Amino acid sequence: MTLRDLVLIRLGVAVNLVIGQIVAALLLPIYLDSVGTILIAALVGPRAAIAAGLVSQILGAVISGNFSWLPFAVVQVVIALYAWAAARLGLFRRLATAVPAGLGLGLVAASCSAPISYFVFGGVTAGGVTMVTTVLRALGAPLGVAVASASYATDLLDKAIACALVSAVLRSLPQTLAARFPALAR
Amino acid sequence: MIGYLAGRSPLHRAHPYTTLALAAAVLLVAFALTRPLEVWLLVAVAAVLAASGGGEVLRSSVRAALLLSLPIWALLFVLYGLLGAEPRLALGVVSLSAPGMARALVLGGRITAIVLGFLTALGTTSPHRLVEAMTASGVPFGRTFLLASTLTVLPRMRDRARQILEAQQCRGLRIGGSPLARLGALGPLALPLILGALAEVDEQVLALDARGAGGGARRTALEAPPDSGPQRLVRWALLVAVIVAYGWKFWRMRG
Repeated sequence: MTLRDLVLIRLGVAVNLVIGQIVAALLLPIYLDSVGTILIAALVGPRAAIAAGLVSQILGAVISGNFSWLPFAVVQVVIALYAWAAARLGLFRRLATAVPAGLGLGLVAASCSAPISYFVFGGVTAGGVTMVTTVLRALGAPLGVAVASASYATDLLDKAIACALVSAVLRSLPQTLAARFPALAR
Repeated sequence: MIGYLAGRSPLHRAHPYTTLALAAAVLLVAFALTRPLEVWLLVAVAAVLAASGGGEVLRSSVRAALLLSLPIWALLFVLYGLLGAEPRLALGVVSLSAPGMARALVLGGRITAIVLGFLTALGTTSPHRLVEAMTASGVPFGRTFLLASTLTVLPRMRDRARQILEAQQCRGLRIGGSPLARLGALGPLALPLILGALAEVDEQVLALDARGAGGGARRTALEAPPDSGPQRLVRWALLVAVIVAYGWKFWRMRG
């Protein structure tokens, strides 16, 4: 891994951890905690994106103090691989393809996170998702269905917006800056 | 939530790998335990660990662990206690699910033990000593750079996010209104932040290269924390404890 890759990974981690500040200011019911991972997958490649995702998960735990969510690190690896494949297929070049790619990513991410949430944490994880789970459970849905539904609903929205945002970033890159990322041209 | 708290306790003096191994062992063992009593014994072990870091570490880590765990306990109580399966126990005006409460005690205790264990490790492990220990044990520069340097970049990036928010509001950007309107404000706030950071990458690479970070040579730690035979033994014993915990779990599952 080159020094440039390391600096870009650090940027991806910082984006993952700081973008939440903007989301919180806008009071949006999403996390966008994988924008940096998706961006690095498109700009550099899968290895760097996996590193960005894993370091984000570890540093997120260090900053918040909540280390119990570390098992979700595997979801970041899946996101990195999917985002790299989507970038190679050129799905981030237009908003019209980035949003469906994000929905696909939401499905894949939720398929990984829902079993972890259900089997490891009994469905009680991050506040917003668990509130949806609790409401569905109160309405009579079995716990497994409630956990899966909450995960899919939140991940579909979150990842579609994350991919749209990454697409906007890539399309806004000035030519001189874009030329410095050979992975973008492929 | 909690940072390093200077002190002279055995945990402060221990090699950073030993302290982190203790926290990691608590995390791994927590997922191996499935009965309320076992999990809450682990919480007690994590509390003893916190106490061995000194009074300030104990107070800070218990307070932070409670702040993090209480909302989870509340959600567990609703999801498993109130909405759980039969049979139910009548407690005054409310009836609680007996198996649901047992499950909630396991899940809540597990999270409390993990959080308490890692907060104690954070409170007693100096980041500087950890980087020195990693350098001394030959961990590649890239890994120490990513863990240590990103933490120093975050406050700068947060400041920039705040400045962009204020600047865009001065230009008339509204951050209230309907969810769609708020979503529309995401681009003008996030794009300058990310594009600005990308524009600085080459400058940062040059600065790091000038400091010799690009060379593949093994770096020398100036103040490598002392390691010892007993500490290495403790780390191996923790590994054995984790293996035994999982062995016990799977043996019980078969039975």
